[in-house]
Amino acid sequence: MPLDDFLSRALDLASVQGASYCDVRLVETNQERFVVRSGAVETLSNDESQGIGVRVLVSGCWGFASTNIVAPDEIDRITNVAVEIAKASAQSSTGQVSLGPPVTSQGVYTTPIRVNPFTISLEDKLGLLLEADARMGSVKGISARTGNLIFIKEHKSFANSEGAHVEQTIYEAGGGIMATARGNGEIQRRSYPQSMRQQGCAGWEFVDSMDLAGNAERIASEAVALLSAKHCPSGVTTLIVGASQLGLQIHESCGHAIELDRVLGSEAAYAGTSFLTTDKLNNFQYGSEHINITADSVRLPGLGSYGWDDEGVPAQSTPVVQNGQFTGYLTSRETASGLNLIPNGSMRAASWNRIPLIRMNNVSLEPGNWNLDDLIADTDDGILMEMNRSWSIDDRRFNFQFGTEIGYEIKKGKLGKALRNCTYTGITPEFWNSCDAVCNEELWTMWGIPNCGKGQPGQIGHTGHGAAPARFRNIQVGVMK
Amino acid sequence: MLGREKALALLDKALAYSKAEQIDIYLNSQDLGLSRFAGGAIHQNVSHGNVVLNIRSVAGKRLGRATTNDLSDAGIQKAVESAHQNTLLMPADEDFLGLPQPSETSTVDSWDEATAFCSPETRATIVRGVCLQGVEHNLNVSGACRTGVQEIAVVSSRGTRAYHAGTFAGLIINTMSESSAGWAKGGGWRLSDLDTEALGKEAVSKAVEGRNPVAVDPGRYPVVLDTYAVDDILEALSMYGMGAQAVQEGRSWMNDLIGQQAMNPAVTIWDDGSAIQGWPVPFDAEGMPRRRVEVITAGVVNTPVHNSYTAGKDGTLSTGHQAYFTGAPIASNLFLQEGDSSLKELIGSTERGIYITRFFYTRLAHSKGCVMTGMTRDGTFMIENGQITHPVKDLRFTQSYVEALAGVELVGRDSKLILNEVGFATRVPALKLSSFNFTGVTV
Repeated sequence: MPLDDFLSRALDLASVQGASYCDVRLVETNQERFVVRSGAVETLSNDESQGIGVRVLVSGCWGFASTNIVAPDEIDRITNVAVEIAKASAQSSTGQVSLGPPVTSQGVYTTPIRVNPFTISLEDKLGLLLEADARMGSVKGISARTGNLIFIKEHKSFANSEGAHVEQTIYEAGGGIMATARGNGEIQRRSYPQSMRQQGCAGWEFVDSMDLAGNAERIASEAVALLSAKHCPSGVTTLIVGASQLGLQIHESCGHAIELDRVLGSEAAYAGTSFLTTDKLNNFQYGSEHINITADSVRLPGLGSYGWDDEGVPAQSTPVVQNGQFTGYLTSRETASGLNLIPNGSMRAASWNRIPLIRMNNVSLEPGNWNLDDLIADTDDGILMEMNRSWSIDDRRFNFQFGTEIGYEIKKGKLGKALRNCTYTGITPEFWNSCDAVCNEELWTMWGIPNCGKGQPGQIGHTGHGAAPARFRNIQVGVMK
Repeated sequence: MLGREKALALLDKALAYSKAEQIDIYLNSQDLGLSRFAGGAIHQNVSHGNVVLNIRSVAGKRLGRATTNDLSDAGIQKAVESAHQNTLLMPADEDFLGLPQPSETSTVDSWDEATAFCSPETRATIVRGVCLQGVEHNLNVSGACRTGVQEIAVVSSRGTRAYHAGTFAGLIINTMSESSAGWAKGGGWRLSDLDTEALGKEAVSKAVEGRNPVAVDPGRYPVVLDTYAVDDILEALSMYGMGAQAVQEGRSWMNDLIGQQAMNPAVTIWDDGSAIQGWPVPFDAEGMPRRRVEVITAGVVNTPVHNSYTAGKDGTLSTGHQAYFTGAPIASNLFLQEGDSSLKELIGSTERGIYITRFFYTRLAHSKGCVMTGMTRDGTFMIENGQITHPVKDLRFTQSYVEALAGVELVGRDSKLILNEVGFATRVPALKLSSFNFTGVTV
């Protein structure tokens, strides 16, 4: 049976069973994973997953069912199960779901890539990691080293009962290395290009350009040097946050805070809510005039880049913070309808067996005008921190604390000695309002976060965050001391 | 759900396709029903099933992998071949000693028919009851109720043959007023063991008593940790150091502490995958029996848990802790020995301190000592002269969990089973600690 027939089969049956709305996603995912650990290949794996998920609205209530068996009988079974579940939902439901205007998208999207990563031999991929591993291992004092690569191809077919039908093929590529040093009663680590790995919607060229091997000795040497570096001082100071750390700062303190499902309480029992309540839309100074944040699904190689979201809403760009003013949420059809907003295509499911949730796409801080040398020269006394080591934020996205792998003193406009165990902490709007400089486009990088958890049952989302280094005044640092 | 015969037949089929020196196949199957609610109503309601075959193929000192959920003959054959081809590309790993020898596994009856086949209507009835409890107190109620079946099976060319099917049930309740929140969580392998009304009361009372919290200054305070917070401590100690890989790489909190009195003598922690008081899974992803391992005995740090690879490196036997198909060994069925004090006595013996019902978003800040940072959430209260006097605004902490357990003063006599979504379970009592380091407060 042609795959499209599976979609229409579910849509037709759902309609017969009384569903006022139905959407169906058929997803096939192929993945290659490589992990090298201290000279040994820990993982070389090909992973394949396929399945179909059916989501229905019956009497204004949701039901969803899925299966890994793509066969006509099974499609019928899960469609019936989805309808039964929706009817059960009605037993404990107070309102009617409204999805707003119908979505009738049609088309085909494929991530633009230069080199299909699945055409590169496994030997070449493994060789890249083994070379980087050997170079890290050449540095005396390294106790553990790891490297990883991942390549993903996901093909999705989506159709809904309003007439939408889209096909998408999304490619992702990622990689990273990490060296751990132990000695002097201390443990330190350095990573490249960022903690865990850098990942993007891209082809082999994305990983090839990282030059993992070329950076391996450097990060290993830095990890060893950190063992005897000065501790991060404790106090209030000027902080320059490096681009990759700022990417995670945006993710935690802005990206999650603007998810409208969180704001409306549907994630309250698990990940929490948000301080950006609906009364603050277009009425709240989130950050200083230097803060312009955009949520988009069109800026490659961001991990939140696609043609349509998993409700069939087209990819688009939404200004979230403009000159510091809070101006936009990430929305679903349902949540947007409730606020009379136009849905901005932010619903994504981690797999065929998960419902779509509002997920960050590419939530990025737009570049400013500074180059980093000038910014440092303009800073009389402070610290530069880079590369995330730990992260935590409260359930309303107010109080955060981040730790970084490395920091550097800034004294009289010059970068000084390295610092270890660096941390900074703050309250989200106070932090972003303290920003007085953002670096320019040349230092702006789209960082990929491939491990964003949300929802029950849990879903791992892939998000993008563009950022350049930025400066913040009067920040509490050094809580580890 | 597949059942024993079908599951093992699938694995036998995969085994027959293999030309490798050695092969094992780990089957992981889940059927889940989950009803999620917020604002007093179900807003997400799902059912899903999946069966994944995880294949390891061996050639000498090399091990390749593949996974698939395509259970057709062609799909299985392709995955087996893929794992074999990956093996041939790999350099030899001298520390790899081959797939483990078969070892007899125990059987544990953690199957409950009513839980396995719980209907969405039953879950909706539970949700409705819980929501009504909140409405009576003008609270916004949210949460999730889940039920389902987990099947695992392992077959290897060396003769390993194991199958287990268990059920699971869980209820999470969050209650919120304008200035406060409460929380309760119940879980286990039998839905009827969950006292849903009591869980509702627990969540409601925290939100009611937590209204209008007062900010307290950060600093060091004695604390009474309720079970959810203690669960977080055990989970972190497991994730960041109880596995042998972390110890071998020198990044575990256990490094330099093995054989030493690192915690209070009142602290004994063990992992036991076969204990019916937990969420039992009697063997791991390699088909090895999950042996009882005492990680901490009367405050003395003993030993990490092993899979066959880390055990081979240390010249010992696997303890059966390869919890997932890839990755490091993990202690995921943990127990903390109960003491003899009631929660009331823990609080009553505290002159001035903080009663913490739950931690949130805790992350490793430094490996040494397992220094964690995180927040309190959903019910934090001041204790003065042995009494809870008022709610406090949520606090951020930055605290070594090893040091925290060195400061145990009293251990609760009642333990609670806490089961998380991905099969990690602890059974823990409440604790009174002499000191806990708070480094910030939220607004």
